[in-house]
Amino acid sequence: MEKSSRVKGAESVLNLEPNSSIAIGYHALFGSHDDLMLLEIDEKLLPDILHERVALRGQLDEDSVLCTQSKTYAIKFVGNSNSPFLIPPSGQFALCENSQDFDGDINDFAPVIKVAPGNMELVEVAPKLDRLKLLLSENPYSYEDVLEMDFMEDVEKNKPRLYNWDDLVERVQASDEELRNGLCALSAVEIDGFWRIVDEKYMDMILRMLLHNSVLNDWSLDALNEDDVVSVLVSDGFPDKLACHCLHVYGSKVDGDVGRSCVWRLDESRVCVHFARQILSTGKKKMENFMAEWLQRIPARMQASFNMLEGEVLTEKLGVETWVYSFSVSSLPLTPAERFNMLFRERSKWEWKDLQPYIRDLKVPGLSSEGLLLKYTRRTQPTLDADPVFSSR
Amino acid sequence: MQIQVKCSCGAENCREWVVVELQGTVELNPSFFQTHLQNLQIGQLCRLSSSSQESYTFTVGYHELTGSKVTLKKPLLVLKKVKRFMDVDQSDDNKGDLPSSKVELDVIGIIRHKILFKTRPKALISKPQPLVKERVRPAGHAVPN
Repeated sequence: MEKSSRVKGAESVLNLEPNSSIAIGYHALFGSHDDLMLLEIDEKLLPDILHERVALRGQLDEDSVLCTQSKTYAIKFVGNSNSPFLIPPSGQFALCENSQDFDGDINDFAPVIKVAPGNMELVEVAPKLDRLKLLLSENPYSYEDVLEMDFMEDVEKNKPRLYNWDDLVERVQASDEELRNGLCALSAVEIDGFWRIVDEKYMDMILRMLLHNSVLNDWSLDALNEDDVVSVLVSDGFPDKLACHCLHVYGSKVDGDVGRSCVWRLDESRVCVHFARQILSTGKKKMENFMAEWLQRIPARMQASFNMLEGEVLTEKLGVETWVYSFSVSSLPLTPAERFNMLFRERSKWEWKDLQPYIRDLKVPGLSSEGLLLKYTRRTQPTLDADPVFSSR
Repeated sequence: MQIQVKCSCGAENCREWVVVELQGTVELNPSFFQTHLQNLQIGQLCRLSSSSQESYTFTVGYHELTGSKVTLKKPLLVLKKVKRFMDVDQSDDNKGDLPSSKVELDVIGIIRHKILFKTRPKALISKPQPLVKERVRPAGHAVPN
C-alpha cells in the first residue's frame, strides 16, 4: 500500500461532500508565521482594500491607523483563546505540495499553516489633524519668504522644514480626503510644492491691499474678477499664488459666465472676523472701544455684527465695564479631551450659547454632540427654566 | 511612515481560506516522541448530513468534537507582511546606508467561513485507538498526569 496522501486545501474543507471526511494536519511549513495576520473588515470596505486604495499610516511611536480614501480607522488586536487553525487553499504555499513525509492514512489532507492567536479589528476614529497644524505652524509663510525668493541659494541652509503632500501623508494619521479638508480648514496653500499656512500679518497686508484696490478701481466686492484682482496685486508686489489664496480665504466663487476668468464675492463675515482678530491681537479691549475701532476698520460696504464673532472672542465683565478678548476656536486642540480641558481652563463654567461655538466642529465617530457633553462635562440647571451651565467633570 | 496594502491576488480572484476553530488547545501526546509538528495529522474532519440538519465532527485522538459551519458576519482578510528592498541608486550620496527597504502588506486570502467546534470533546472509549497521535484539551482543564 502506498503511504502517500493527496494534499488539498481550504477548498476541500469548504466543499466537503456530505457524509465524507478529510484529514486535517500540520502543514510542512507549519509555524508561528508572524508575518501572516488576520484583519476583520466590514464588507463595505472590501472593494477599497481589494483595489489597493488603503494604507497604514503612522510614525514608529504611534499606533498605526488604516486609511481609506476618506476615513481613518484605528487597528485593535483581539486575542482568541480558542485554537483557530488556518488552512490556505491548495497551491498557495508551493513548497508543501510534496508531502511524502506525511504519516497519515491514504487520505485527502488539508494542511494547517498556523494557529492564529487572534485578529485585528478596525474602529473608525477621527483623523489626527492636530499634528498637521503643528507641522505647518513650524514655518508659516510670511513677508520674509517673498523677500527670500531672490536669494534662494543663501537661505537653503538652516531653513526650517517645509512639507510637501507626501511628507504630510507620512506624518499625519488621516485619510487623503481628511487631510485635504484639514488643509482647507487651516487655510493652507501649496506654494512651490510645499503646503504652508500664511502668517496672519501677511494675509492682513494682502487683504487690505485688495480692499484698497477695490476702492481705487471701483470693483464691487460681490463680483471681483479674479484676473483683474490678481494682476493688480502682483503689480503691488504680492506673488500671484498668494493673491489668489486671499480670494479663497476671504471669498467664495460666484457662478456666472464672465468669459474665462472666475468671479469672486468677498464673504462679509470672514472679512469682518479678520479685522476683529487684528484689533484684538494686541490684547483685550473695552467693548465700546473695540466696537468703534472694528466698525471703522471694516470696508464701508460691509456690515459687522457681534454675532459674527462666535467662537472667536469672549467677553467678561470687570466692574461696570465689559471687555472683549480674543479666544479663537481655531487655536484650540481638535481632540475632545484636550479641547474641553482648554475650555475649562479658560472658564470653569460655560453657558450653552457660549460653549456651542467652541465644540460644534468636534467630530468623533460614534459619539453625538450630546454624547460628547455627557462624557466631558457636568450639566447643572439651577431651576427648570434656567439655562443649563456646563462645568468640568 | 506609510505601509501600502497591496492585493497581489488581483481584486476579484482573492482566494478563500478556511478556519477550523476549536476550544482550548491541541497538545502533542507526551508519550509520542516526535518533536516537530510539521506534516503531523491532527484529526479527521467529517461532514454529516441528514435531511433535518447538518453537522461536522472532528475526531482528534480518541476525542470527538461536534460543530458546524459558520459564515462570518464580517470577512477576515489574510495579510502577509512583505519587505521589498528598493534599488538604491549608486550615485546616491548615502553610500554607507543599508539598502532601504519598504514594508507592504499583501492581501493573500479571504476567510468567509469557519468550521466551529465550541463544545467540549466527547470521549470515544469503545473505539480502538486510531493512528492519530494527539488529544484535545478543553480550555481551563488540566490534563491529568
